[in-house]
Amino acid sequence: MTTEAKPRALNRLQSMYALRAEVDKMYEGGVEASEEGRPVAWVMLEGWSNAILNAMGVNTVFPENYSSLCAAQGVATPFLERSEAEGYPTHLCGYARTCVGYSSRMVELDGKIPPEAPAGGMPKPILLVASGEVCDARFKWFQSLGRFFDAPVWTIESPYPGLRERLTEGAHERNVNFLINELKAFVAFLEKLLGKKMDWDALEHTGGGTNEINRWRWEINELRKARPGPMNTRDFWSAVTAALFRGAANPDVITKGFERMYDEVKERVNNGIAGINRPEKYRLSFEGLPPWHSLGFLEQLAERGWNFVIESAYRPPRPITIDLSKYSDPMERYVRRRYRRLEDSLEEDYGPEEAGLIIDEILCDGVSRRMGLRHIRDYQVDGVVLHVLLTCRSTSAGLNLLQHRLLDVLKVPSLVIEGDIIDVSAFNPAEALRNAETFEETMDHYRKVRKELGMPW
Amino acid sequence: MAEPSKGLLRAQEIYQDRSQRALELREQGKKIMGYLCIYPVLEMMTALDIVPYRIFGDMREPITRADAYMPSVNCPFLRSCLDLGLKEKYDFLDGIVTSHICDVGSSLSGIWNYTVRTPFSHHIDTPHTLHETSLKQERGLLEDYRKALEDFTGHKMTTENLKKAIRVHNEQRALVRELYELKKPDPPLISGVETIRVIKAIQSIPVDEGNELLRDVISEVKERGDGPQTKSARLLLWGSILDDTALPEMIEGLDANVVMDDTCVGSRPYFNDVEVTGDVIDGLARHYLMDIKCPRTFRTRDYNDVRKDYMKDLEVRFSYLSDYARDWKTNGVILESVRYCDTHGYDVPGLRDYLDNLGIPSIYLEHDYTEGALAPLRTRVQGFLEIIS
Ligand code: SF4
Ligand code: SF4
Repeated sequence: MTTEAKPRALNRLQSMYALRAEVDKMYEGGVEASEEGRPVAWVMLEGWSNAILNAMGVNTVFPENYSSLCAAQGVATPFLERSEAEGYPTHLCGYARTCVGYSSRMVELDGKIPPEAPAGGMPKPILLVASGEVCDARFKWFQSLGRFFDAPVWTIESPYPGLRERLTEGAHERNVNFLINELKAFVAFLEKLLGKKMDWDALEHTGGGTNEINRWRWEINELRKARPGPMNTRDFWSAVTAALFRGAANPDVITKGFERMYDEVKERVNNGIAGINRPEKYRLSFEGLPPWHSLGFLEQLAERGWNFVIESAYRPPRPITIDLSKYSDPMERYVRRRYRRLEDSLEEDYGPEEAGLIIDEILCDGVSRRMGLRHIRDYQVDGVVLHVLLTCRSTSAGLNLLQHRLLDVLKVPSLVIEGDIIDVSAFNPAEALRNAETFEETMDHYRKVRKELGMPW
Repeated sequence: MAEPSKGLLRAQEIYQDRSQRALELREQGKKIMGYLCIYPVLEMMTALDIVPYRIFGDMREPITRADAYMPSVNCPFLRSCLDLGLKEKYDFLDGIVTSHICDVGSSLSGIWNYTVRTPFSHHIDTPHTLHETSLKQERGLLEDYRKALEDFTGHKMTTENLKKAIRVHNEQRALVRELYELKKPDPPLISGVETIRVIKAIQSIPVDEGNELLRDVISEVKERGDGPQTKSARLLLWGSILDDTALPEMIEGLDANVVMDDTCVGSRPYFNDVEVTGDVIDGLARHYLMDIKCPRTFRTRDYNDVRKDYMKDLEVRFSYLSDYARDWKTNGVILESVRYCDTHGYDVPGLRDYLDNLGIPSIYLEHDYTEGALAPLRTRVQGFLEIIS
C-alpha cells in the first residue's frame, strides 16, 4: 500500500518566486555598479528617495532588508557582536546593529565586502539616505555610521503630525509644501554630489512605476478578502520585498511580476483554492513586522488551519486618481500623487458616513477608536497576532492599545507574540504554539459574541 | 503662622510634592497645562496665563497599569508617565502638550488621549533636521499651536504678551545659568542632587515664581558655609531624562561631585535665550528647533556639504560639551541613558569617540528607570572614579 505524502500546510504561490528573486538581483546590481565605478547609496525605506536616486542614476541598496536577510540566513550574530564591541547599546534596533557590525567589518577589510556576506553583500556607499519617517533609528543609525564611512548622510524629512493636528486648517497644504521643498533640497544636494542635473523625465518613470506596482499590490489584496483566503501572509512577505526594496530595478519588470501574481491569486479565488492546504479554520491578521528568521512558524500554524489572510506591515496604499494636470512642477506632481488629505483617505476607505464619525472622534478626542481597523472587518478576521519586538519600538509601541481597540470596537481578540526582527532567541516557538492552541478557544468565543451582536462574521 | 520656606528647602519641598502649588493655583481658577519633555513652547502658555507643568514619571513607583497599553520594550520613563496618568495622578491637568521628541513620545500622545483623556491636547510635530524647510515647518506648527491655545482659553495671544513671556522665560534661563556658575568653583557651591531638585521644582510652578525661587536659591547658596566638599572627581553628566536624584545621589555618595550636566532636567533647556525677533514666532521656532541640543535632532556640520568629515561633524554636534568640560573643569564624563532610548543610545559611540579624541575619559551607564537598577552601577562608577583620579 502506498501512502501519499501530505502536502505542506502552506500553499505557496508560484508567482512569488520570481519576485523574490528580484531582491537578489538588487544586491547583485549594487555590487556590479560599484565594481563599474557607478554610485551606490544605502537607503532607508520610505518611499520618496529611491525613485529620485534611481532617476539620477544611483544604485540603491537597503540595509534594513539586508539585515533581515542576514538574520534569515543565520549570519547576523557575529555582526551583532561586533556592534556591541563598537559600544552600541544592545537595545537598539536589530537591523541597525547588524548593519553597524557589517560596516565595522568592512572597515576592517579596507572597504571590501566581507566574504561571509550573503547575497553578494552591500558595497561601500557614496551616500547614506536616512529617513525621519517611522522611527528614530532610521536617521540616528545612519548618522552613527559616520565613524565607518566617509559618505555624507542626508535625512529625508517628512511630516508626522498628530491626527487632530492633521485636520487643522491649512495643515495639509503646509505639509505638502514641506515635502516638496524638502525633496527639492535633496535633489539640489544630489546634483552637487554627483555633478549632474536631475533627470525629471526619468523621475516620472521611476516614480510613476512605484504607483503602478502599488496599484497591483492593492488589487491583489482586494482579492484576498475571498473565503477561503487565497494568499497567505508568507507569500505577501516574500513578494513585498521586491516592491519595497526594488533598488534600481526597472519598475516595469516588478510591475509585471505583481501582475502575474494577481492572475494567479484570481485563479485561486475563482476555484476556491486557499493559501493553505488545510481547511481554513481561522482567518487571521498579522500586526507588526514579520519574524523574518522564523517564517517557518507559519507552516505550523497553517497546519492547525490558521490562514493569515492580511497583515498590517507594508500594506499598499489605496490607488488614487488625482488630476495632476494643474501641477506643472514635476516634484509637486510626485508628492501630490502620494500624499493625501486625511479627510480624503478616510472618505475613500470608510465612505462618507463612517468617515464623518471618525473625524468627529478625532476632533473631540485627538484619536479615533475605529480608524485603522477597516481591514479586520473587510477580511472578516477571527483573530489577530500582535508581534511585539524586543528592539523595534515604533512598530511595537501601539500594539497593546490596538489589542483593546480590536476588542472594544470589533470584538476580535488578539494574541501577543514576543520576538525580534533579528534576535532569534527572543522568540520562543514552543511557547507561542502553546499559546496559539489556547487562543483558538478565545477566537471561538468571540465568533459567538459577534454573532449575537449581529456582526457579519 | 510659620514663615513660608524659601530657597533650597522650598525647592526640596516642591520636589517632594510637586503638584501642591499647581492644585492651589487651579483652585484659584488658573489653567494648568501638562507638557512632555522640553520641546513644547512654554512661552506661549505663559503669554495666555496658563501654568506650564512638566510631566514626569516616578522611578520609585512600580509600573502596574501602563503595561496594558504600552509594551515593556519601550522607554520606561514614558511608560511611567503613562502609568501615573492611568493612576489619575495627573487628573488636575486641564490639558497636555506633546511634541515629536522621539517615536515613542509621539505614540504616547495618542495612547494618552485614548486612555487618560486629559480635556485639552495638542501635539507639535517638531521636525528632525535643521534644514531650512524644517525651520519653516516648525514656524507653521507653532502658529497652529498658538491658535489651539487661543481656542482653548478663549483669549487672543497678543504680541506684547508673548514678548513679555519670552522675557520672563529668558530671565529664568539667565538665572539657571547663574546658578550653574556656582558649580564652577572647587568645591562647587551646589551639588548635583540639589540642582536636580531646583530644576524639577521650577518646572512645576509658574515661571515668575520659579524665578523668585532661583534668586533665593542663588543668594542662599552663595552665602552658606555647608555646601559640598572637595572630591577627587568633578564630573559632567550627559544623557536622557533624569528626573530623580537617585543617580547623582549614588555618584555624589562616592568620591565625586557632579558639577555640570547636559540633561533635560538640568542645563539643556536653559543654556540659550530665545531671541525676541520682529516676528516673535520666528525666534521661538529657531530656538526650539535649533538651539536646544538634544540627540532627538539630526545635526550635522553643513547639511549642504557633500564631503564628509567625521571629526568635524562630531565637533559641531558635541563641542558645547567640551566647552562645559573646560569651563567647569571636569575630569570625566558619565553618559547615562534609560534603556530603550534610541535617540540617546545611537549617540553614545560617536560622543565617546569625540571625548576620547580630546582625552576626556567617559563611561556609559544604562538603567531601566528603577531605583534598584542603580545599585549595580555603583561598582562601575567606583571603578571609573579610580581610573580618572
Ligand atoms: S521601524 Fe523598527 S525595525 Fe525598522 S528601522 Fe525602525 S526600529 Fe528598526
Ligand atoms: S528618554 Fe529617550 S525615549 Fe524616553 S522620552 Fe526621552 S528621548 Fe524619548
